[in-house]
Amino acid sequence: MAANPMVQFNVYRVGPEIKFGNIDLSFTNSSLFMLISASIITLFLYLSTKNKRLVPGKIQLISELLYNFVAKMISDTAGSKAKPYFPFIFSLFVFILVCNMVGMLPYSFTVTSHIIVTLVMALFIFIAVTIIGFLKHGLKYLSIFVPSGVPVVLLPLITIIEIISYLSRPVSLSVRLFANMMAGHTMLKVFGGFVISLGLVGGWLPLSFSVALTGLEILVAFLQAYVFAILTCIYLNDALNLHH
Amino acid sequence: MKLPILILIALILGQSRIIAAEAGMPQLNPEYWLSQSFWLIIIFITLYALIAKFFIPKIKLSIGDRERKIKDDLDEANKLKKISEDKIKEYEKLILENKKKLMKISNDTKKKLDLDIQKKKKAIESQIQNELDKAQIEIDNFKKGSLASIEQVAEDIASKVVEDLTNEKLNQSSVKAIVSSTSKKRIGSLL
Repeated sequence: MAANPMVQFNVYRVGPEIKFGNIDLSFTNSSLFMLISASIITLFLYLSTKNKRLVPGKIQLISELLYNFVAKMISDTAGSKAKPYFPFIFSLFVFILVCNMVGMLPYSFTVTSHIIVTLVMALFIFIAVTIIGFLKHGLKYLSIFVPSGVPVVLLPLITIIEIISYLSRPVSLSVRLFANMMAGHTMLKVFGGFVISLGLVGGWLPLSFSVALTGLEILVAFLQAYVFAILTCIYLNDALNLHH
Repeated sequence: MKLPILILIALILGQSRIIAAEAGMPQLNPEYWLSQSFWLIIIFITLYALIAKFFIPKIKLSIGDRERKIKDDLDEANKLKKISEDKIKEYEKLILENKKKLMKISNDTKKKLDLDIQKKKKAIESQIQNELDKAQIEIDNFKKGSLASIEQVAEDIASKVVEDLTNEKLNQSSVKAIVSSTSKKRIGSLL
């Protein structure tokens, strides 16, 4: 039994070592759980779209609800212009959601509890959104840093703040997901440890706490996937419809 | 907010290994960062391609089909409703027209019947009047005839009675004169 609650986040090689010079691209337990999550999504979507029926069955209904949920989220936050990016947002939301949920299973690994994973996703979104913004609006996209209706005296200060806030988007986006996942899983592990150490006499209290925390973590798992997706929509909205 | 700050410093200074060791966070161990990024990109791109190429169009099609079906059904229902409403209007119009026709027919028939009845009544009345007139004439004739015969009978009876009482033969003309005057006095009042 691992006493250290951080041990669950250890990444280790699964299978053979894949190395290109100095670069280690070995398949790890993190990669394995990414693959498991992606496979679950693929299997689910395959089963739900296999028999297209006019009156949907349960599994078809779930996939259509998911579709409508993401579609509504995008149209509410980014408008109709964001339609071409629907498959990406959908994939992003479903992937993060399933990774988070798979991470809730005991002895599994939470892919999204690693900063590098969330950072890669956030950086990709940040760079893509910036490119889209410049492609759509040219240099006018820079006006995103200059909000309208601000007194001229405050303008330099506000612009600097806007630039900092824009540049910190990938950090906040990635750290929000990673920190939530890590904190939740660490907490669960710590309380699990309390249950063992307090034993049959006093273990009931942390056990009940642990149960409640598990419920909370499932909520957080959904919420963080939702937040990640909706923030992506909002950034996309800034790039597509220059509001400022 | 110690954690994000720590991570930021780690990222900026590239000294993550040291901090990872201090904080005991495997996340900050860069050993498998490249591997994780690499597999994430591979797996996510594959997943994205599958979803974008196969699953989304399928779900979209299924939802679209349903919406189209519902829309078609609604349109069909509206069309049928309109048709039925038109039919009802037509039907009501027909009923109204027929009612008018019926009224006209009944009025016409009534008038015709009235006229007919009136005509027949008149004919019958005139016939009755004729019959009455004829009867009146007959009665008058009969009365006149009977008056003459009454006088004759009265004369015979009077002469007979006087003969039986007196055993005398009376003058026929004087008897006639007396009976005639008496009958004129008496019977005239009866006639």
